[in-house]
Amino acid sequence: MSNVILKNVVKRYGSVAAVDDLSIEIRDQEFAVLVGSSGCGKTTALRMIAGLETATSGDIFIGDTCVNDMPPKDRDIAMVFQNYALYPHMNVRDNMGFGLKIRQMSKKDIDARVEEAADILGIQALLARKPKELSGGQRQRVAVGRAIVRKPKVFLFDEPLSNLDAKLRVAMRAEISKLHRRLGATIIYVTHDQVEAMTMADRIFIMHNGALQQIGAPMEVYRQPANRFVAGFIGSPAMNFIDAKVALEDGAMFIDAGGFRVRAPETFRSRLEPYLDRPVIFGVRPEDMSLHDATAGTGNSIKAHADVVETLGSEIFVHLTCEAHSLVARMEAPDSPPMVGDMLEIDLKMAKTHVFDRETSQTIV
Amino acid sequence: MNKKLLSNILFYLIVIAIACIVLFPFLWMLVSSFKTQVDIISWPPKFFFTPTLQNYQKVFEEQDFLKYFLNSTIVGVVAVGFSLVLGLPAAYSIARFTQKKLSVFILLARLMPGISFLVPWYIVFSRLNLMDSYLALILSHMLIALPIVVWIMSTYFNTIPREMEESAMVDGATRQYAFFAIILPLSGPGIITATTLSFIFSWNNFMFSQVLSMEKTKTLPIAVYNFLSYAEVDWGGVMAAAVAIMTPAIILTMIFQKYVVKGLTMGAVKG
Ligand SMILES: Nc1ncnc2c1ncn2[C@@H]1O[C@H](COP(=O)(O)OP(=O)(O)OP(=O)(O)O)[C@@H](O)[C@H]1O
Ligand SMILES: [Mg+2]
Repeated sequence: MSNVILKNVVKRYGSVAAVDDLSIEIRDQEFAVLVGSSGCGKTTALRMIAGLETATSGDIFIGDTCVNDMPPKDRDIAMVFQNYALYPHMNVRDNMGFGLKIRQMSKKDIDARVEEAADILGIQALLARKPKELSGGQRQRVAVGRAIVRKPKVFLFDEPLSNLDAKLRVAMRAEISKLHRRLGATIIYVTHDQVEAMTMADRIFIMHNGALQQIGAPMEVYRQPANRFVAGFIGSPAMNFIDAKVALEDGAMFIDAGGFRVRAPETFRSRLEPYLDRPVIFGVRPEDMSLHDATAGTGNSIKAHADVVETLGSEIFVHLTCEAHSLVARMEAPDSPPMVGDMLEIDLKMAKTHVFDRETSQTIV
Repeated sequence: MNKKLLSNILFYLIVIAIACIVLFPFLWMLVSSFKTQVDIISWPPKFFFTPTLQNYQKVFEEQDFLKYFLNSTIVGVVAVGFSLVLGLPAAYSIARFTQKKLSVFILLARLMPGISFLVPWYIVFSRLNLMDSYLALILSHMLIALPIVVWIMSTYFNTIPREMEESAMVDGATRQYAFFAIILPLSGPGIITATTLSFIFSWNNFMFSQVLSMEKTKTLPIAVYNFLSYAEVDWGGVMAAAVAIMTPAIILTMIFQKYVVKGLTMGAVKG
């Protein structure tokens, strides 16, 4: 069993809590992605699991063993660092074999393991090179290779793709996912890129300011964000947030944003009732907005000015102003895209919208 | 004439002027070491003369110059060697665990005038019957070499990313193993800088050797000084001896020029 458990883990630097009471369980063979904006404590959490940093308080378990006082070398983990940390004075072969050499494995076995890993990653031709003779993408592969030769229980990745160009990043994403299935190991993967989290994770762990916000499968955190932070973090472009209040008129429930008013679906009713006349935040994803279609007629459309129209090929992003509110809509490119300055009528898929408590930022619906 | 040319000329004039001031005593010394006593003190100075090696002959024959040379080498090499053995781990610890107190303490040893150590040393070493011993001299020279090693190397270790040894530790190494297998092999340039500089400073040291050494362990600078203490100063001999002393330091500096300059610009060294 190689699950990883953090129980009430806190890490303080002076008065700053880099990680604040983090309790999570990462299951055996799971691909867990720790995601959050810069400085939220992801690296710190990973370094504590690796044993490179001691927790101020709390317990960490790998498998059934409490590893609080165990040095990194005994934890049977491998880590891929953000800057790869390849040893500059060793060639690729020695870099990858370093951990095995320490374990006093025979030269023959080391070579066999290194070549097997090089084969998986397609870097056989590079084995004799020094790290400085490699491109960024090749270095990244070597760093992954150095991790997998040891066949550890748990892999830790700290933003391994952030130094690669966009195209390579997409390719490596798929490769790491494949690797995970092939190795059947537990992977804890840290990133600030929600796309990486969505595409690779079995479960996403979202952090903010050192504290855990939500745990869930990618579609779960996308569809049912626990709070406003998660809602804004997952999805691109980010969800539109509009200050509004809940109003009741002629027995129908409305979300009133001042500039516009939309009718809340019946399913929202019971949960919105306690918030009548109270300030809330209305959240709608750009992809849940579309140009008004008279035939579909949801009756929930708003009128807005097109400020900027970005064409991406198959899609367009339209930046809109509706009274005092700015919104972004994302839609399939129509045959005649809207022009800047047009007054547009936009339909909202109300069933997919969210309402948040303005004080606590927690999701109401 | 345009402005740029003018400022260029001015620049080179200043450079030449400074070079003259710095190099003049050295050249004077070099030239004089090949002159006879008569030529040296003749006025106006003679620019054309028959060079003689008699000064060098005298230095190497009359005085046991080779012995002093050997003494300086032994003291320098052993003091620098021990300083590396003690200083490298200390510097690593300062760099990685931000040991402010330790580093300030070592800096303090560097900033205190050397002479303030001499009285206690003199008492301690004579009580221990260690006067005129290599041990006493080597220990005193470590006061010169160790701070240089620690300061240069802690600055250098700071430039090596932490992830280097962290990666090794996750790979299964102890911190000590990582230090020897990963960090030291990457520290070549820093170690060369520290070694060269601290050796030169030990080589040139006068004060500690003057007090703590006598006939047996006398080092080169003391030997030169001895030329001055004769009734009549043998200028040719002094000059030749000085040139002989400086030569190894100059050769070292030239070989490791790149590293020495780097070390000096790290601001880690007091002249
Ligand atoms: N050694 C340290 N001393 C003091 N503060 C630290 C230290 N390491 C991290 N911190 C602080 O802890 C917080 C979390 O840092 P951490 O490196 O874990 O962030 P991160 O989520 O990995 O961010 P990024 O995405 O930028 O890598 C930050 O506010 C950081 O300034
Ligand atoms: Mg980080």
